[in-house]
Amino acid sequence: MSKPDLNVNIGKMKLKNPVMPASGCFGYGEEYASYFDLSRLGAIVVKGTTREPWPGNLPPRLAETSAGLLNAIGLQNPGAVEALAKIRTLAHYGVPVILNVAGHSADDYCEVIKFFAEEKAVEAFELNVSCPNLTAGGMAFGTDPEIVYRLTSRAKQLTDKTLIVKLSPNVTDIAAVALAAERGGADAVSLINTLLGMAIDISKKEPVLANVTGGLSGPAVKPVALRMVWQVSAAVDIPVIGMGGICCAADALEFILAGASAVAIGTALFTNPLTCLQAIDGITAYLEENVVATVKEIVGLARKNQAQKREENQCGKS
Amino acid sequence: MVNYEILAHEEVAADAKYIVLAGKIAAVPGQFLQVRISETNDPLLRRPLSVHDCHENSFSLLYRIAGRGTAMLAQKKTGDNLNILGPLGKGFPHTTLPTALLVAGGIGVAPLFYLARCLAEKGKKVVFLFGARQAEALYRRRELAEIVSELHLATDNGSTGLHGPVTELLESFWEYQVKFEIYACGPALMLQEISRLAAGHDRDVHVSLETQLACGVGACLGCVVADRTQPGKYFRVCSEGPVFNSKVVF
Repeated sequence: MSKPDLNVNIGKMKLKNPVMPASGCFGYGEEYASYFDLSRLGAIVVKGTTREPWPGNLPPRLAETSAGLLNAIGLQNPGAVEALAKIRTLAHYGVPVILNVAGHSADDYCEVIKFFAEEKAVEAFELNVSCPNLTAGGMAFGTDPEIVYRLTSRAKQLTDKTLIVKLSPNVTDIAAVALAAERGGADAVSLINTLLGMAIDISKKEPVLANVTGGLSGPAVKPVALRMVWQVSAAVDIPVIGMGGICCAADALEFILAGASAVAIGTALFTNPLTCLQAIDGITAYLEENVVATVKEIVGLARKNQAQKREENQCGKS
Repeated sequence: MVNYEILAHEEVAADAKYIVLAGKIAAVPGQFLQVRISETNDPLLRRPLSVHDCHENSFSLLYRIAGRGTAMLAQKKTGDNLNILGPLGKGFPHTTLPTALLVAGGIGVAPLFYLARCLAEKGKKVVFLFGARQAEALYRRRELAEIVSELHLATDNGSTGLHGPVTELLESFWEYQVKFEIYACGPALMLQEISRLAAGHDRDVHVSLETQLACGVGACLGCVVADRTQPGKYFRVCSEGPVFNSKVVF
């Protein structure tokens, strides 16, 4: 049997496999380039970028939790001009680059998209309407379906590149927000961003994070993320990029079986920089073991199987 | 990421251990290693530990049992493997001066021990000022005494050496006629005080900082400290440090 086909399409992007690093955990790629061959990735998702440089939040910005990590980086980034220079250095890897776009206002997001609209170095935009560490923009946008719809529509008018909307889990009905993004013209949705949380230092008797609250990521959030990918992929017709606590191929496969066309790996990279490569290899091995020719065949398979089972049970009852 | 076998793992005090690992690493003094504590997801992050010493076919770490992660590390036995990422970060800068003054507070001795040995081997005069809460926390001071030119001790409770902070030991050195380089590692307040005193004498100090890290390679921006020379700018402790000129961080 020939090697399984790992190709997936996200909007106009053709990815040679469904595995990418998650924005915010991978800088602009350079930090991890000495640890593994970036050309093996399905895509490279770079840091949330704003038009002008952002300083980020005051430290402390990190708090480790049980099987998780709280962060309140606050989208520190060097701004569009310096980001572009960094992104251009990634061209020789031959991997599509997805730019995570951030801002305080709708105009901010549009300025970033306009700046990169004609840049070949960027193949897709990921609208970050889900950063929990901002007072304006970020999650404040992503929790309101109407704002998500309007921002997505505006962004869509500015670019022909693939447009992804990154969703916040800090909502009651994430499918409603995903549908708003789809209605606004998004080519895909990615989820989840971090869950809002906090930690308190009992010796100092004050919050650990200078920002008080932060975003929770890591294995601790995986069941929540998986449930949301399941719900969103049932609701929308556009591809879903699943993420949240993926640490290995088995975790990635859970998301794919739940309905994700591709997956992103974030926090796990901090412990094991090779997690993306190991996930690619593990997915390949799984497809071989299960005699499946293409990864596309197992996208959402758990839902199909579950639906079939339910149908059988109902037939059995009648 | 490489697995290294533990050759020895000894208690140096009730709250600190010394661990020797088999293998060769190309570390300069001041660099650190990201040590994986557990194969499971808890604790999730690696623990950054300074390279305490480095030889041809082995290297060592000295750590204080400060929380759950280091308590779990303390349980590892001779023959176990430790998964390590690194060496990481930028180490202590070289000095062209013949004399170096090293100032350690408690577990801050960890990276300065390796620096002291390297400087001594280069023929430099190494004056080591070592302070801690009590004598027991002057970790590996006997081994240190064998490699440095002068070792001056201070304890907060007066159990050994000067009764007072290590910064008091510094006083007599400002009048020193020879020029010397200053390196320091220890609690943030100690480093801040040394930096303040040094600035008063128009001197710089190379300080090694400790903050919570996540990635250790400069990607996550979680470990930053403010750049005092540029408002709104930060340094990544893991990749632009952990050693900084005191003037830019204090």
